Amino acid sequence: QDYLAKIGHLESTQQSRHIALEKVAEEVKERTDGHVTFQIFPQGQLGGQREMNEGVQLGTIEGTVAPAAFLGGFNPLVSILDIPYLLPEDAEKAEALREGPFGQQLLDSFSDRGMVAIGLWPNGRKQFTSNKPIGDIADFAGQKFRVMDSAILIEQFNALGASAIALPFGELYTSLQTGVVDGEENPLDTILSMKFYEVQDHLLVSDHGAMEDVILFNPAWWNSLPAEYQEIITDSFREAVPELTAHKAAAVEAALEEIKASGTDVHIADADERAALRAEMFEPAVETYLAKTGDAGKALMDTYAAEMTELQ
Amino acid sequence: MKALALLRMIERTLLVALFLMMVLLYTGSVVTREIGGTFASNFAWIEEAVRMMNLFLVFLALGLALERGKHVGITNLRGKLPPAVQGAVLKLVDAVGLAFSLYVAWLSFGLVQFVGRMGQTSPTLGVPMYIVYLAPLLGFLLLGLRYGLSLFGVIDRHADAEGEAA
Amino acid sequence: MLLIAILLLAVALLFAGFEMLLVLGVPALAYKQGFWAQLPDAAVVQKIVGGVDHSTLLAIPFFIFAANLMGSGQIARQLLSVVTALVGHAKGGIGHVVVGGSMAFGSVSGSAPATVAAMGRMVYPEMRKAGYSEKFSLGLLVASAETALLIPPSITLIVYGWITGTSIAKLFAGGLAVGLVLGLALAVFVRIQAGRDGVATTPRMPWADRMRAIWAAKWALGMPIIILGGIYSGVITPTEAAAVSVVYAILVEMVVLRTLDWSGLARITEASAINTAIIFVLLAMGGLISFFVTLAQVPSSIIDLLHAVDAGWITFLIVVNICFFIAGMFVDPNSTVLVLVPPLYPVAMAFGIDPVHFGMIVTLNVCLGMITPPFGLDIFVASSTLNKPVNEIIRGVWPFVLLNLIVLLLITYIPQISLFVPRLIYG
Ligand code: NA
Ligand code: NA
Repeated sequence: QDYLAKIGHLESTQQSRHIALEKVAEEVKERTDGHVTFQIFPQGQLGGQREMNEGVQLGTIEGTVAPAAFLGGFNPLVSILDIPYLLPEDAEKAEALREGPFGQQLLDSFSDRGMVAIGLWPNGRKQFTSNKPIGDIADFAGQKFRVMDSAILIEQFNALGASAIALPFGELYTSLQTGVVDGEENPLDTILSMKFYEVQDHLLVSDHGAMEDVILFNPAWWNSLPAEYQEIITDSFREAVPELTAHKAAAVEAALEEIKASGTDVHIADADERAALRAEMFEPAVETYLAKTGDAGKALMDTYAAEMTELQ
Repeated sequence: MKALALLRMIERTLLVALFLMMVLLYTGSVVTREIGGTFASNFAWIEEAVRMMNLFLVFLALGLALERGKHVGITNLRGKLPPAVQGAVLKLVDAVGLAFSLYVAWLSFGLVQFVGRMGQTSPTLGVPMYIVYLAPLLGFLLLGLRYGLSLFGVIDRHADAEGEAA
Repeated sequence: MLLIAILLLAVALLFAGFEMLLVLGVPALAYKQGFWAQLPDAAVVQKIVGGVDHSTLLAIPFFIFAANLMGSGQIARQLLSVVTALVGHAKGGIGHVVVGGSMAFGSVSGSAPATVAAMGRMVYPEMRKAGYSEKFSLGLLVASAETALLIPPSITLIVYGWITGTSIAKLFAGGLAVGLVLGLALAVFVRIQAGRDGVATTPRMPWADRMRAIWAAKWALGMPIIILGGIYSGVITPTEAAAVSVVYAILVEMVVLRTLDWSGLARITEASAINTAIIFVLLAMGGLISFFVTLAQVPSSIIDLLHAVDAGWITFLIVVNICFFIAGMFVDPNSTVLVLVPPLYPVAMAFGIDPVHFGMIVTLNVCLGMITPPFGLDIFVASSTLNKPVNEIIRGVWPFVLLNLIVLLLITYIPQISLFVPRLIYG
């Protein structure tokens, strides 16, 4: 029997997530002798991320690779990934966290939310940009930053004394250009592909926010697959991680060069500066998270703490 | 007829209240941003709230729009048909419109239930997301009601189609 | 076979005068049941809501509201008396005001439907008064609004830039040039038509009278200052400007000029809600249709066909133009770009077409799609806000579709028009 999955995501075809997805599709097709086909729809062609998440629950589409920041409304527990400086900086340690008990507990929490989560994908780290200087942590006070729909991210900016402003992504370029907001946060390759650097003077490479993707499938479709195919799919996604990370790293490196060349002032935060940022933002964000998620959030946070002690 | 007048009044009141509230909220968010600081962060929900209100504005007005003959369509060719045929076409439009509206309302009802079961909430406000699909549910019911009333000759929705705009 | 039957059904519904929401919705449901029966039915509602649930669409209801307030009160009249005092003596007069005003308003609002709504309520009666024919007035209003997507800022260009990785600054520079060319073409048309319709001009006013007219309209002039000034100074986004302009219009009409009372406000609010609903229900049905176009991977099949016949770049650009022309007839502008650009762009690059140039071709096509009958969003906006039958607007629009096609051919085959300004600025 043959299985077809329509998989939607938000990134453009040149970005790492899409390229890795194409790879996974190829791999899955080959290892299932052509019995499982992934049809990839990039760039939100199948709708916005909220629509696609809902589509996965409903069975309109079979799968999506969704940034965790878009999933808080579906599963509040996943917002733990919005907490700044949650994941260790070291790529191997971060991957160990994803694949260990913490990652598993997080994935399992989707099961009573009408979705099957089969893995986490790293998709880079967020950086700050602004038209006002942001080299010093005190600079943030009073600046206006565009924020995604997330209570934790709002708290992150509050902790720095900045305003968190909700603006549609499509209006962000022009708003940065005219000065409706001073700055924003995004991974470097997004800053490049959305051309935000064209209208921003300063970039602070802080790596403060992990952009984690959750790989989601429709439960009915997933359960219709033979166990052997499920395993092949899960493995293919996991095995794509090193290549995904490498592609992302190269894209980020190239983006940084291009942004530097454009005349944007680039400051790369050193270990002390990162520690200072973390000291300001981490605890308030955790408190916001726990206030929203209660005991289940506390349990996940405990698993996280235990894992981190082990990884140190 | 009294019930219909009451319904109209409810619809109109809701639309006016919703629209004015949207305008005030959006203007208010500009003011809070100008005040700035972490104070402004408290109003990040406005964006989401206004977008939801707009959905209700759009769908709740569908029925009134039909009753007043405001929905757009290319009607000049129909006007060239003999009067008897024209009358039949108008009834057909009403019947198809009624069936379509009720079907979409029924599907909306299904979606409301489904999203309710999944427990999805809105990202910033945290309100249940099935609310969003109540808008088409109510809207297409109101639209279907008008198609039905027109089909059975209770209202004449083609009477003041050429009336003066606001 | 089934597909042809569904298309025939759509045509039949259209000509039988069914409401446009049924013309789009009923065949879409039939297509769903015929070709995608395995999809959950509730997906239909999800896509209907998805078609209108975008923050960037909010500018439309707000600007419709503001335009209705200005049009029923004094603000529009006062603004026009200033314009007449300044340029009423020029040949074409109010016609040029429509073109220039739409370019200015469209530039900042970034929304062609909002431009049609706002300009229409203000200038349509004045155009008729000056002696322009109904047909020409309606066509000009709808066509001038197209510049909204070209003259920066433009969300359409931002979406294109993101999909293709093209510099948005360069696209904006190109869009400015192409928008000006289109505006110029419209101005030439106005000039010719003014002679033909025997449009009246008012005598040139002395500056003292002009200043008096400006002073008399001081409150009304706050409106463009808030919208243009607010956006360019970075205080507000275009959508916020729309909301703020509603508040300003209410304050001026109710408190300062006392031309509006509470019951009047309620009446205008309600009418604006209905105008909004009429337009958005079409966008909602468009959301449904573009979902199926995406699923069916229509654009990729066209590309395959092009490869099969080994077409050259001239044929390719003709096919691109035809694709957008047809898509624009049924699908909303942003979905058109999202669905069509990804498969077409690599082919364009293989032919060595400049990304900025291709962006201009795409955007102008999207613009054209909004005014081509039978389904053109701007046509319906004009119909709804001016309370004119769709067929009357369509009658007026045809000459402008033709004019637009000529401009499109120029832009398509003379890349220098699109590339001159970006190269001047960015080398
Ligand atoms: Na614009
Ligand atoms: Na069209």
